[in-house]
Amino acid sequence: MSIRSKTATYLLRYEPDDDGLRFQDLTYEGNFVGLEPVPDGILGDKMMRRRAKTGVLERVTRENVLRERYTLDEINDLNNYLAWNIWDVLVMRATEGVSGMIPRQEYEILAFMHEFYRWPEILRMTTDEAGPQGVIDIGATARREIGTKVNCVHDWCIGAVGFGMGRCGLLALEAIEPDDYVEESNEILKFMQRVLWGKRQDGYILNSQDRYRCRVHDQEILDQLLGELEDFEPDEPKHDAFTRFNAAATLLAFLDHFDCRLGLGDTGPYLLPDGRVLIVRDLFTNEEEFHWSDVCDHEDVPHCYTVVVVIDAEAMGLAEIRVNDISTTFTRPKNYVPYITGGAVFVREKWNTPMGEVRPVALHDLGAELEKLQQATLKLYGKLARMPRRELITNGHWVYFIDMILPHLRLAGTYEKACRDYDLWEIDQRVSNYYYEITKRKFAQEVVPTKIFSGKGYLPFSEKADLRSSKYRWL
Amino acid sequence: MSSIVAEGFNAFETRQAPTGVVKYLETPNDVLALIQSGTLKDYILLVRGGTTTFLAPVLSIGATGILTMSGAPESHLGIVSREFQTPCVMTINLTDSDSRYQAGNTDDAHFEAIVQQLDGKLVRLDCEDDSIGRVYLAEHSV
Repeated sequence: MSIRSKTATYLLRYEPDDDGLRFQDLTYEGNFVGLEPVPDGILGDKMMRRRAKTGVLERVTRENVLRERYTLDEINDLNNYLAWNIWDVLVMRATEGVSGMIPRQEYEILAFMHEFYRWPEILRMTTDEAGPQGVIDIGATARREIGTKVNCVHDWCIGAVGFGMGRCGLLALEAIEPDDYVEESNEILKFMQRVLWGKRQDGYILNSQDRYRCRVHDQEILDQLLGELEDFEPDEPKHDAFTRFNAAATLLAFLDHFDCRLGLGDTGPYLLPDGRVLIVRDLFTNEEEFHWSDVCDHEDVPHCYTVVVVIDAEAMGLAEIRVNDISTTFTRPKNYVPYITGGAVFVREKWNTPMGEVRPVALHDLGAELEKLQQATLKLYGKLARMPRRELITNGHWVYFIDMILPHLRLAGTYEKACRDYDLWEIDQRVSNYYYEITKRKFAQEVVPTKIFSGKGYLPFSEKADLRSSKYRWL
Repeated sequence: MSSIVAEGFNAFETRQAPTGVVKYLETPNDVLALIQSGTLKDYILLVRGGTTTFLAPVLSIGATGILTMSGAPESHLGIVSREFQTPCVMTINLTDSDSRYQAGNTDDAHFEAIVQQLDGKLVRLDCEDDSIGRVYLAEHSV
């Protein structure tokens, strides 16, 4: 029997010598052919960092982050680590196959490649406008705000998706060579590092480097959230009302973001004085930049609900908790919902609603909010069901291409400039043409996923690569 | 006496053991028609993918149980079924068959065989185990 009460052991995971639990049986090889296979979790992080040639995967200083360029070895270390990290968080998720609704593999691969081509000049422009310290400061805003898309998954996507998967897809398509676009790769990875470093401020950039902890919120913010906390027993109606609301908001957040993880943002785990564990979860239920969100407007659904989840770790017998780098919480045992013993809900109406105007919703008032979520979900489903396949792929591609950097551009004040002067909402002709290639020879369904999730497609830059190089030859 | 007919990844551990008739949903219109029929709760839903969007409205209203032919607890449907506490067994395989799902490399015959064997059958889900969810044939079929 799996639902049980026993002593929690999850704190052992934070002992330096502890290697954590294994969440899956698979192992990773990537570019380290012939070496010991790497598992998931804390042990995997340790092994990957031991294989690095540089210190870029250890705690790094502000001075280091502000440097204009990585060394080639640092870029290769990041490439190798991100490849493992992508495998770690996505290899099991990626077994989910066809949607029956949204052609996700197709829109994902188009977006990856589009990002690698076009983000570099937009991120460079943004860095020029804000300055390198300004980019760090954008990351730091996440410490003081809830309901912000400057979060793990968006920040991680800049490097892991825009650089890692984008380059991987273009290499698989044989559109680029391994030593092409070195300068552009540096631009993307530096932007990612600055945002993530500014958010964490402990020298690391990724949650996997810190035993899957993302404890970024300042204590002042946590105190405000906990000030609205309502405690309940698992068999009370409040538990049911809270967990149903959380589930419904999670569902709409996924749907509004075309079945991708950008709608969800967890931070934590924060240990409370009474021994319980706190997760702060942002659920982005209405992104105003997406035209299909009009149904959310009609139901008066806000930009974001922040759900404060408190788990009784002792009753659960919590053995490990991971807030991974795509902002998602997984536990062992898997089912934490029956052990939620406290909750609170906050509303941020628009992406730029001042924190002082973020309002709490009492748990006994969640019924009305739930009704709005259910109506918006049904209407959005009907809307998507009527969209032709091509439109679904295009729109899904926009979710990735735009939304992954949207929060950073908004805070830098460069979003409008990117739209106006850089044609952000246009599709590059190269990528438009790839639309016809990706369904041939199982490219989107098999070739790219195999390259991405085996780690075989993240080819290193060679010793001959020049840090200043773009792509100069189309032969 | 019930017999095990399929098994797969258990999305989350639960004592719930829902019983219902398996209904295969192939298109969004199938999903909408089921909602409009008012009989959603009678069924254990069988779907091909492990994504949330396809089943979004039924998840929102409240499904009895879900079987998928691909995906894992880390997939979006695994996450959302856990949040809704809707029992969900993922990437099921038939216990009398050696055919197994492989992402990106599974032909239609694998899925068709599962649909043919389960659609319309009365089943009970056993989702107590940490990792394996089991599908038992119940007393009668419809």
